[in-house]
Amino acid sequence: MKTYLLASLTLLLVCCYVGIVGITFAADSDAGEMEMLVFPEKYKPMAVNNGGMISGMVKFEGDKPEMKMLEVTKDVEVCGVTEKYDESVVVGEDNALKNTIVYLIDITEGKDFDKDAKLEIDQKGCKFTPHVQIVPVGTRLTMLNTDRVNHNVHIFSNINTPVNKQQTKNRRKMPLAGVKKAEGPVSVKCDIHGWMSAWIAYVPHPYFAVTNEKGEFTLEDVPAGEYKLGYWHEACGTNSASPVTVTVEAGGTVTQEFTLKLK
Amino acid sequence: MKIRTIALLFILFGTLVLVSLMYAQNAPEASERGKEVYENSCAHCHGVEGRGDGSAAENLLPRPRDFTRGLYKIRSTETGQLPTDQDLFDIITEGMPGSSMPGWETALSANDRWEVVAYIKTFHAGFKENENPPKQITLEGKIPYSEQSVETGKELYVELGCVECHGNVGRGDGTSAPTLTDSWGFQTWPANLTQGWTFRGGFDTEDIFKRFIGGIAGSPMPAFEGDSFLNFGLTTEESKRLIELENKDEMTEAEEEESGQFYEKMDAAVDIALTIKEGGEVSADDIQTYNDAMKIVYEKSWHLTNYVKSLMPEKRPEAAIGNNVLRSQYVQGALPALDAAAWETFEAGYFPLVGQVVIEPRQFNPTIDGVHVKSFYNDTEVAFLFVWDDRTHTTGDETDETTGKPLEDALAVQFPVKVPQGPTAPKPYFLWGGRLPVYLWHWKASTPEQVTELTAKGINNAETQEAQGELQVQSTYADGQYKLWVKRALKTEDKKDLQLEPGVFVPIAFSAWDGSNGDVDTKRTMTSWYAFTLEPVPSSRRFVYPPIIAILSVGLLFGLRAFVQRRNTEDV
Ligand code: HEC
Ligand code: HEC
Repeated sequence: MKTYLLASLTLLLVCCYVGIVGITFAADSDAGEMEMLVFPEKYKPMAVNNGGMISGMVKFEGDKPEMKMLEVTKDVEVCGVTEKYDESVVVGEDNALKNTIVYLIDITEGKDFDKDAKLEIDQKGCKFTPHVQIVPVGTRLTMLNTDRVNHNVHIFSNINTPVNKQQTKNRRKMPLAGVKKAEGPVSVKCDIHGWMSAWIAYVPHPYFAVTNEKGEFTLEDVPAGEYKLGYWHEACGTNSASPVTVTVEAGGTVTQEFTLKLK
Repeated sequence: MKIRTIALLFILFGTLVLVSLMYAQNAPEASERGKEVYENSCAHCHGVEGRGDGSAAENLLPRPRDFTRGLYKIRSTETGQLPTDQDLFDIITEGMPGSSMPGWETALSANDRWEVVAYIKTFHAGFKENENPPKQITLEGKIPYSEQSVETGKELYVELGCVECHGNVGRGDGTSAPTLTDSWGFQTWPANLTQGWTFRGGFDTEDIFKRFIGGIAGSPMPAFEGDSFLNFGLTTEESKRLIELENKDEMTEAEEEESGQFYEKMDAAVDIALTIKEGGEVSADDIQTYNDAMKIVYEKSWHLTNYVKSLMPEKRPEAAIGNNVLRSQYVQGALPALDAAAWETFEAGYFPLVGQVVIEPRQFNPTIDGVHVKSFYNDTEVAFLFVWDDRTHTTGDETDETTGKPLEDALAVQFPVKVPQGPTAPKPYFLWGGRLPVYLWHWKASTPEQVTELTAKGINNAETQEAQGELQVQSTYADGQYKLWVKRALKTEDKKDLQLEPGVFVPIAFSAWDGSNGDVDTKRTMTSWYAFTLEPVPSSRRFVYPPIIAILSVGLLFGLRAFVQRRNTEDV
């Protein structure tokens, strides 16, 4: 009898396990369809002394593309004050590629998030700034609106709860609840002003950087060790399948250059 | 030994019950039956794996729902939450008007509908992962419908930005309407709030209330939670004062400071609201602040609901058949012009349009609901007023990819060339005739002051008449609505034209094109045959006819009697 009980219990456990694994797989395969970042299973914050630095530049391969001007179709007196461009590919001098996320794929221990960092996306002039925002899991993100027009904040999360909420014209600050899981980047839109577009990456550790106008990035206070270095760009995709390996020495600096082309 | 066995059996049984209870808390476990129902009735649209990619999906807009993302439009729950089982059961029972999602009330037993609810939930992990039941929207403090409430709601409609998408009077023609896409990247349109019967989730007051508070997941329609409301956290007086300050061209330093304080107060209230939502710690004072703010939000929400409700009729108008048949009204003297008040004095005949799906290219996803028609005639002429809603004014600037023809809004009114003699006499084929020809008035948005007369012997076989008669035409487009006014003589010289006479029932049918919906040629919305009549002149003739009829019938009776008598005598 005992063996029966044991057998049934084991069977039960096995079934549960298979079920849960199945569910995770289902979620994974959904995510896999899009170009996504890769996150470590677990991350433990700790004090980092004498960490190293990874820095470098992301370049665009090929001729510098002409930036497409977007038509401001409404609220022209507010939104039309500045010209609007399609920011999916922003290439500066020396083919510097802006708005690329560069990050450590497999880090499991390192510094904690900067708790004082202001996590905001401004909608001034009916344009999201920054175009790519990194948001720690569990941290609030505040949407700013000084335009005195209505915006709707539409965040197309798949794993976390999607958001679509009206931010009426004098709601200067609208904080959004922190998310539960690492995900992204996910698209952000304002349906009222269809040209507005941005990306949010919800991340579990602080080793993420977004390239500036000069295509530069830096990841600081990296504990010495060997890491996989990844990138993501909205129009050029990711290298998640074949990331670069970098070796960081205590107090040292590693430089890495990436050259990306359109998908 | 025996006792031990029984005990073990008990433990085993207990574990099983516990495990099943754990599952049951969230959902009735999906059964084989649910899968069977799904695969028989739903999979050809929603796909075997629930990805919305069934064999019939490609032609449909909105697309059959992809269940894997857990985005449900019609919920009684707050924004970001999944629907309740009851929500799913109800939508499967009722179907979704304005889309191809059928209602299953008669086709599936209630039990089967519950089974399929459990089954579709297995496509999205979120249903299992959620420990807590979804939070439902409370329907507290309902404010009854009144003129006053509607007035207040009207202001909120603009203030909150419903107007951006739904347009000035709610016809779904807002300035943001043409650029909207759903969460799968397909074009989508804001609901026409004057046509409640096209709403996916019903148009009872409570339905409307839940839709904007909770938002419509998967669509661009945002949620209007507490802090979405203008001046959340301010009292009514403070709110008024702030709006006053904000409307000033320039503020003095003191006023800057004053408005600054209001903003701080609002920020604090927003912060409290979010902390409560996150389940964080708040003080009793904070809860008071929050409750006060929410009380105002709820009041405003009911006013807004009452306003939205005021935009639509109680129910979908009855089609123009039977008692509702379109009757042209007799007037003496000149016929009323397009903008005359006389048109407001009676109900229009309503002709519901459906997508043309008989001949390629077809229209499976019509955007024009129906056309409302009124008519007046006098001794020599007849005037018609055709009114229909179209969210965009499209005049052929863009062309259709396959045909190369301009995409533009248009309307065609169809009559037979010869009025069939009697109700059972054959009418021309409703798709623009065949062996029996039809006579058409074709109006296009690019030439708004002109109607072309056509003769057709089939939907692809129409010819512009050589002799274009003396049709007078006026038209307007405003706030998502076309008005077309056409006047013609009752009798014309042209044998290909329809000739009109009072008292005769004349077949009439319509075709409409919405250029922005890709309508061109046979891709259009249409009606089959209806009828209209020039209502026989009342007044004087009303008094003349009955005596004549009376005399005639009496005469007939006598004649008949004489006839019968004669036969009887002959028989004998
Ligand atoms: C003819 C195609 C078709 C069939 C058959 C069909 N559906 Fe749908 N269904 C749709 C479409 C289209 C939508 C999306 C409508 C929209 O988004 O406005 C939809 C949406 C839904 C939704 C989403 C409701 C919401 O609140 O968003 C559910 C649930 C659903 N269907 C269940 C079913 C079930 C269960 C069956 C079978 C018993 C079924 N459907 C059969 C076309 C279909
Ligand atoms: C960003 C554009 C946008 C804004 C702003 C907006 N709506 Fe909508 N609304 C839509 C769209 C798109 C739909 C159609 C949703 C669908 O069925 O896919 C819709 C549908 C609706 C419906 C029909 C629901 C149903 O059951 O089909 C109602 C009612 C409604 N909106 C009311 C409102 C109200 C009230 C407001 C303001 C508080 C508002 N909307 C603001 C875009 C918007």
